[in-house]
Amino acid sequence: MVGQVLHSDVALSVRGLRKSFGAKRVLDGVDLDLRRGEVVSLLGANGSGKSTTLRCVMGLMPDDGGEITLSGRRIDTLSGAARGKALREAAMVFQKIHLVPRRTVLANVCAGGFARVGAWSSLSPALYPKDLQEEAMACLDRVGLADRAHDRAAGLSGGQQQRVAIARALCQRADVLLADEPVSALDPRAAEQVMALLHELAHAEHIAVAAVLHQPDLARRYTDRAVGLLGGRVLFTKAVDALTEDDLDTLYLPDRTDASADDVLRELTLEKVS
Amino acid sequence: MTSVLSTSSPEARETHVRRMPVPADPARGRRVAWTVCALVLLLLLHALAFRGTEIRPSLLVSGWSSMTGFLADAFPPDLSWNTTLRPALEATGVTLWIGLLGTTLSVPTAVVLAVLASRTTAPNRAVYQAARSVLSVLRAVPDIVFALIFVTAVGLGPFAGVLALICHNTGVMGKLWAEAMEEIDRGPQEALRSAGATRLQQVSGATIPMVVPQWSGLLLYRFDVNVRSSLVLGLVGAGGIGLLINRSIQDFRFDQMLTQILVVLVLIIVVDQVSAFIRRRLAV
Repeated sequence: MVGQVLHSDVALSVRGLRKSFGAKRVLDGVDLDLRRGEVVSLLGANGSGKSTTLRCVMGLMPDDGGEITLSGRRIDTLSGAARGKALREAAMVFQKIHLVPRRTVLANVCAGGFARVGAWSSLSPALYPKDLQEEAMACLDRVGLADRAHDRAAGLSGGQQQRVAIARALCQRADVLLADEPVSALDPRAAEQVMALLHELAHAEHIAVAAVLHQPDLARRYTDRAVGLLGGRVLFTKAVDALTEDDLDTLYLPDRTDASADDVLRELTLEKVS
Repeated sequence: MTSVLSTSSPEARETHVRRMPVPADPARGRRVAWTVCALVLLLLLHALAFRGTEIRPSLLVSGWSSMTGFLADAFPPDLSWNTTLRPALEATGVTLWIGLLGTTLSVPTAVVLAVLASRTTAPNRAVYQAARSVLSVLRAVPDIVFALIFVTAVGLGPFAGVLALICHNTGVMGKLWAEAMEEIDRGPQEALRSAGATRLQQVSGATIPMVVPQWSGLLLYRFDVNVRSSLVLGLVGAGGIGLLINRSIQDFRFDQMLTQILVVLVLIIVVDQVSAFIRRRLAV
């Protein structure tokens, strides 16, 4: 099994992930490794395949092929309930946060642990088991919002709501946390708080975190490694300290078409060879 | 630029405006033809409808005196407490109870069918189609037909009315609720799915709590409608004030009938206002 060959610290490994929407190729063989205890930022222009990679890993959209190994298990070969069960090791945080606004903060965090609870006791917040609620409280405390447990989620600010969503992910007890533009809808200060929290959780709780970011500055300060995507391919993977302005310029060249993305990749390959 | 425009006279500007002939619209003739066809068809249907419903305004004029006679018989309303007003109030209470139970007792069936008949929550295409068909049938059969059927089973009385309303209201409310679920943001449901929640957990933990305001509004609206329906159901023997109104008409006691109608009017206005008030509060 591939999982045994991999270094034990690698929690998620993606090899040659492919995905097309009709004739448009969005992922063209993406490779990605996430290690426990580090934050990886996914950088790239709109349409470069950052979010699609995460959504394919989570099974929120079907991929067209590629190997996905999560916590030592190949999941791309699994399907249906077996894949769903294996995927419990990965949690996701969304740009639009996706809390249930009318439910309390605590009830929203409890939902992260639904996979461990029976159908009957998850029907209503009044029936949630005590140990689940206590675990959810601890997760809320971890993100600094234990005092808001009984408030409605809708009453919190955007930054607080995103921290609740992170607490919900923690309550899932996942090895891997995939954050799809977690700070794009937040003001700068809330964005800093959320990124600092993700960084701290990765290092203190030994979770593998990947965050799609549109701010290279946040990537430099709060993540360990940066993966640059261009036209559905990984252009570079490097420590954020080594990230240069040239790297970023290649990622965000204005009005790049698929053809020119191919050109850039070819040029870069030629450079390496020569 | 602006100074040039402001100094030049309107006439001078008029000569400088550039114009271009509008090309002939190739689809114009067809559009006009379709519009004329549709109008002719509509007129034809109305002519048939007039003949079919035997509409003759002259009858309204010649029969005017009998109508005023009828109204004269109705005034003043019979307000005697023991023989008219108290029975009317009691029967109106029954009408209200029929409407209430017909609404609330159809909630469980409507919830189940709505979840199965909503694209976002149905387990698969076959169940979705089946649930939609069941809802369509329940909706297509009028409550008054259900009432006639149940009267033969459980006899004359309010119980038949409650059963009739449960059946019809399940069909209507189930469809309205299913559509409400299709319109809300699917994000929270997707978030729970990615956390490993089962379909039932996604529905009970995200979809239904998200849609509670819309569902409550529709429930109150249906209560409002059902109270009025239960009035009509009384006319076919399903109890309540409808039954009394029917009897008064048969006995030519139009003064009693007027009292009963006034009591009903008060009930309808109160129910309508209360339901509107609660719906306004929920919308906030």
